This record gives sequence, structure tokens and C-alpha cells, in this order.
Amino acid sequence: MYRPFMLMISASFLTCGGGDARPSTGGSEVDIPAVYTVNYPLQYFAERVGGDLVQVEFPAPPDVDPAFWTPDAEAIAALQMADLILLNGATYAKWLAVVSLPESRMVNTSAGFEDSYIYLEEAVTHSHGFGGEHSHEGTAFTTWLDPTLAVEHARAIADAFAVRWPEYEVAFASGFESLEADLLALDRQIAEIVARDPDRVLLGSHPVYQYLAARYDLDLHAVQWEPNEAPAAEQWQAFEALRADHPAQWMLWEDEPLAQTAARLREVGVEPIVFDQCGNVPRAGDFLSVMRQNVENLRRVYR
Amino acid sequence: MTDALYLAWRYLAYHKVKTAILVTSITLIVFLPVGLRVLVRQSEEQLTARAEATPLLVGAKGSPLELALNSLYFEGDVPETMRYAQAVRVDTSGLALAIPLYVRFEAQGHPIVGTTLEYFQFRGLQVASGTGLTMLGDCVLGARVAEALDVGPGDRVVSSPESVFDLAGVYPLGMHVRGVLDFSDSPDDRAIFVDLKTAWVIEGFVHGHADLSAPEARGQVLQRDSTNVVGNASVVQYQEITAENIEEFHFHGDQAEYPITAVIAVPPDQRARTILRGRYSSPDDLVQIVEPTSVIDELLDAVLTVQTFVIAAVAVVGVSTLATAILVFMLSLRLRHREIETMRKIGGSRASIGWVMVSEIVVVIVVGVVLAGGLTVLTSRFGSAVIRAVIF
Repeated sequence: MYRPFMLMISASFLTCGGGDARPSTGGSEVDIPAVYTVNYPLQYFAERVGGDLVQVEFPAPPDVDPAFWTPDAEAIAALQMADLILLNGATYAKWLAVVSLPESRMVNTSAGFEDSYIYLEEAVTHSHGFGGEHSHEGTAFTTWLDPTLAVEHARAIADAFAVRWPEYEVAFASGFESLEADLLALDRQIAEIVARDPDRVLLGSHPVYQYLAARYDLDLHAVQWEPNEAPAAEQWQAFEALRADHPAQWMLWEDEPLAQTAARLREVGVEPIVFDQCGNVPRAGDFLSVMRQNVENLRRVYR
Repeated sequence: MTDALYLAWRYLAYHKVKTAILVTSITLIVFLPVGLRVLVRQSEEQLTARAEATPLLVGAKGSPLELALNSLYFEGDVPETMRYAQAVRVDTSGLALAIPLYVRFEAQGHPIVGTTLEYFQFRGLQVASGTGLTMLGDCVLGARVAEALDVGPGDRVVSSPESVFDLAGVYPLGMHVRGVLDFSDSPDDRAIFVDLKTAWVIEGFVHGHADLSAPEARGQVLQRDSTNVVGNASVVQYQEITAENIEEFHFHGDQAEYPITAVIAVPPDQRARTILRGRYSSPDDLVQIVEPTSVIDELLDAVLTVQTFVIAAVAVVGVSTLATAILVFMLSLRLRHREIETMRKIGGSRASIGWVMVSEIVVVIVVGVVLAGGLTVLTSRFGSAVIRAVIF
């Protein structure tokens, strides 16, 4: 939820003391605010919007999926000291429910489009005691794969920055406009590519492409495979059953699958391509370059 | 003059018991109303300071005094609860920082205060040892609680069940002590602070249990279909949150519906404060907004009324005690007529003898007043600590 006045009030709290040391720029003449994010896309957006005016930190290690990572005590302490914590929303980072963070310094950057959340249909609910039926699953959370929603994340970041540090509002607006242009260019490119064959059936190696599929009306069905694990026999059987209904020739992967998996897929007439969700810091390049590569990979599918 | 004083002193020193009784009577006559006034004034200051440091309180409609006592001093009955959505309402109004409170449970006689990290900053509370709240199931102890329970960082505190007869009610939760707060000379010293979510764990709205969809949980399933699993009575909720089971903890239902007892609203200026108050003026609203200073002032007005009666009673007792003291002096003069006669025969004038008698009375009164003054100074110096120990 976006709370401009609350941020201002909590900012005044911080200036009034409380005695905590900020994890920012010790030693420099100007104290650069520390902004923490729960995933890499938000870090990238915040850096593009804030430029050198903010120090953006993303505390998850590089080898984990930030959606399912839980920070250790040290990372939580750093988060508690942050001037601002940018959340993805849409039930991303379930660890938020089990840690203590300053509510007034957290901004849910997807609060503006909560009505666009995609609820997981296949979640199994359970009930016992009071409270009735409930599910542990929630909503799809890779919202940034829809570039227009990524723009909304960036807009919420720019607004939060401007409320907290109004003296740099113009600079934040400029950073946002530049990012918005890049993201909307991606959107146009993907839309043009998909428009060549809107009825093309696709498969996904993991249920992370919901927002991408929703944005471009893709006929995409996902299994739950990991790029670094060979699928078990029953997973191949389920895959064949799925293909019987959805005869896709292309399968989107979050990363390059194992060579043996790729070879077997090709044997059955399915070509794997990488569409990296980029939830964590990429090995090379940045969010935009990864997304541009995704677009190029997608271009092969719709050639 | 010096001779008269010497003789008076010798007389008083010789009749120790009588002198002690008279001095004590005079001391109490003077001290009781003055000391009572000092104590009441200090109590007022203690209560008012906490209220003045808390701009506004939002709570369910009911007794404002109950709301203020529970939210400021963690004392008294638990007020009616309201939905967490009310904290969000304050929050999203953009008019105030919202600090939710859920003060309902206890651990070994100490109140458990469920709140957010903003509370510590708002009250200026610092961690003396250990760290602040970090994970679900953590707690931070006020200085007096740590002292009373003899626990510190790394130890464990268990929440108390609300009723020993409520077997199906609130589960006791083992909480990890993360840190101990610096002594703050306030009600926070005798409270156990937990994250609001941990307070909800104690109540059962947030809980953890074995994954009912897992094959090994077959014995705990009452009914299962493709989209829903119904657990049976054997589903056991975890009574301690550990690194191993923390991921099993989940929220039941909508968090906006979860209970809280109050919201401390901290508006940035008078304008925001006035507008926010105006938003709760509808008689149809299920919640109220109160200024703690007004509530505590009303309470103190009542206390002052009682104080006036007490002082009047003390004054009446004082007058009768004074009359008794005068009687004691007069009877003493009659009993001492042979002594007075002797003083006259050895050459003492009426005036000299009169001076000796007056000096005795003056010395008793002066000593009594000085002792009463000393007690008043002690009261003003240490009374606040005693009051805090009693009130907080």
C-alpha cells in the first residue's frame, strides 16, 4: 500500500533520532538514503529512478530465488535500518510474514494494480479450527514480466522517492520517464512479435509466466520443472499428457535446461528457449539487457 | 534565653517517651496533608507525561479510560477489540503514522504488547542487550521484566493461557527473548514486546502445523478432495516457532480482520490532528478517537476530588491531635506544679519560668515541623520512584 504522508511522518521520526545507525554512506559528506528491495527487478527500477541519489541494496545472495529465500538475522537487521523497503506485493517474498520490519518504511509497489493480480487456480485449500478454508499458495508474483506492470512498479517507486525526498522530485521523474520509455519499448516489441501468430501454443517449464501470458494473451501452459534437474519419468508422462491437449513446439525456460533434458525435448518436437524471469541479479548485463535477450529469443518462436 | 532553652532541652531529653510521642504527633499533623499533596502531584505528572507523549488513540467504542489505561500503561481490563483494518484506515488517511497495539495476553503476570517496530522509535526505547525483534516468535523484554523473571537474550518466555479451564483456547507460545530494553522509567519497563503478528500467533490466527496435503499427514485429515483438505482434531499447532517450522506458519483469513486493541495515531501537526479527529465524529462509527491527555485529566479530576476529602479528613484528625497535644501540655503543667514551685523558690521569675515552658513547646513543634519537612523532601525525591513501582 502506498502511504505518502506516513513516509513523511516516519521520515521526521528518523530525523528526530531514535539512535539507529543507517546502513548508508558512512564517511561521505551527504548521507545517501539506503533503499532495500526484495528482488532484482525492483533494485533495477529503483536504481534507474533514483540514480546516484539513493543507495539501492538487494540483500539476497546471487544463487537463490528471492521469492523463496528467507533473510538471516544480519540481513533483517540491515532491512530494519533501511530508509525505505520496496516490496513487490502479490504474495512475493513470503518471508515478509515471518520477520519484523518497520511497516511505515515499506512500500508495496504493486498496490496500485492489486486488481490485476492473478490468483492461482490450482492451489489446494485446507481448513481446520476457526478461520475457514485457506490456501498457502496465493497469487502469481512475477508481475514485472508484464512490462506495463513493470512500469507501474517503477511509477510507485518514483512516487515513494518523491514523497520521501521531495528535493529530488525532478530527478526521480526524469529517471522514471527514461525507464518507462525502455519498458514500453519492450512491451511494443513483444506485442509485435506475438501478433504474428496469436494462436501459437507455448509451454512453460515453471509457473512463472502468468503475467506475460495475460498481457499478450498467450496460450501458455506450465509444468514444474527445474532447469538444473532432469525431469523424472512421471513428470515426462504428465508432460506428454499435457502436450496431447496443448501441442506446443516451444517451451519457455527460466534458464538453459540440462543438455539431456533439451535433447529429449527436441526428440519429441519441442524446442526449449530461455525467457529469464530475472528475479535475481543476472550473471551478465542488467534487467533491460536480459529482457531484450528474452525478446530476441521470443522472436525465434514467432519467426 | 539560653538558660530557658537549656532547661527546656534537659526536660524534654529526660522525658523521652512523652517527647517522642508529641514530636511524632506534630510531624504527622504537618506531613500528612503536605506529603499527600506532593505524592498526588507526582502521580499526576507521571500519568500526564505518558498521556502527553501519546497524541491520539483510536480504539473500539467503549470506555475511553479503559482504552487509555490499556494502551498507555498496559493496565486494567482489555478493551473491546477492533479490526486491524482500523490501523490501515489511520495509515491510509495520510494524516498520521499508525502504530497498532494488541495488549491482551500475559506471560507470568507481565503484559505482552503486540506492536510494530515503530513503537520503539516512537517511545525512544533502546535495546540494552541483545537485539530488537527480528523473526516471528521473538520478544523483547522491558528492563523490570528481565529483572523479575531473571531472563535475558537467548532465553525463552512462555505466554500464559487466558484461563486454565479453557483447554481448547489460546495455546501457550514459547517466545525467544531477543533482547532487553534499557530502563526507561515508564510502563514499557514491565512489558514484553512482540511483533503484532506474534500476538496473533498466540491467539491462533497465525499458526503453523504439518502440511496437510503431504502424504505423511494422512492421519490428521478428516476429509480430502481435489481442492480442499479438512484437518481433524489431531492437527497439532506448533507451540514454538523455530527455524525448522517457521515456514509452516501462515495466516488464516484476511489480516485486515485480525484483532487489535488500539492504534496510536501520530499526526505531524495540529491541522492533521484536527482533521483526523473530525473523521471519527460520526455516531455511526464503530471506533472512537481519544486524546489521552483529556482522558487522564478526567481521571485526575476524580482523584483530586478524593484527595480533597482525604486532606479534609486528615485536617480534622490533625486538629484533634493538636487539641490532644495542647491538653498534654496543660496537664503536664498541672503535674509539674511542684517543679515550678521549686524553680520559683530558688529565684526564678514568673517570666523565666514561663520562657522555660514555652521553650519546651516551641522545641517540640520546631523538631516536629523539621522532621515533617525532611519527610516531605524525601517524598518529593523518592516518591516518584515509589509511584512508578506501584503504577507501572
